Amino acid sequence: MTLSTDTLSAEAIRLGATAKDRAEAIEQCGRLLVDLGAVEEPYVAAMHEREKAVSTFVGEGVAIPHGTNEARQYVKRTQLAVVQYPDGIDWGAGTVHLCVAIAASGEEHVEVLAALSKVLMDEQKAAALRTATDAATVLSLLGNDQQEAHA
Amino acid sequence: MSTLDASTIKKVIVACDAGMGSSVMLAGQLSSALAPYSVKVQHAPVNQIPDDADVVLCQQGLVARAKAVKPDKPVLGFTMFLGDPVFDKLQKAIRDGGDLEY
Repeated sequence: MTLSTDTLSAEAIRLGATAKDRAEAIEQCGRLLVDLGAVEEPYVAAMHEREKAVSTFVGEGVAIPHGTNEARQYVKRTQLAVVQYPDGIDWGAGTVHLCVAIAASGEEHVEVLAALSKVLMDEQKAAALRTATDAATVLSLLGNDQQEAHA
Repeated sequence: MSTLDASTIKKVIVACDAGMGSSVMLAGQLSSALAPYSVKVQHAPVNQIPDDADVVLCQQGLVARAKAVKPDKPVLGFTMFLGDPVFDKLQKAIRDGGDLEY
């Protein structure tokens, strides 16, 4: 069994991370997207810029950091990355325990984000996502199981 | 305050700055909620709101930009992704066919 979707794979999931504040968390998310080969360096600055303009906090302890429309030119391929912060980070509007970082050049990630929004509307599933202790749990919550079932 | 006859709503656009994250998530949620009423929900960057949008939803901080791009469209701002009262207001107006204030 390969634990991956088109846009999210086990190697893009970091559990048990720590960051002192929101800016450091954004930096880590951006760095991960760079390391995965999904974006070029300037995309990280655009993620900070976007976060300052409008928060990407979406509720239930989750934020979805991403760049700006102008920074799409630095996206090499559509990729999602998950970074979990068990201790929580003050995100202004709430405390964030999980970041789903987004680099998108197309629409390939829409299914995973739709799965995420369904998970967040279900308190138990949202808690399971925030406290996941292995990548397989994250992937199964974000739709990997359904995709495998179709395959 | 203006009003729109909610029975005329066929397409709702969720706009965000980049059109790659926030609006995608919300469009996913709303499209299942509004599907029973034959209302389409799509996402777009705020600078590229399509001409056939009947209603535009965007984060409060982007309302001014959305209105500048599409001065003639009803723009509704929200502050919370999960459970903002404006989503209920829109869904109820579409379901009951009443006037939508904006």
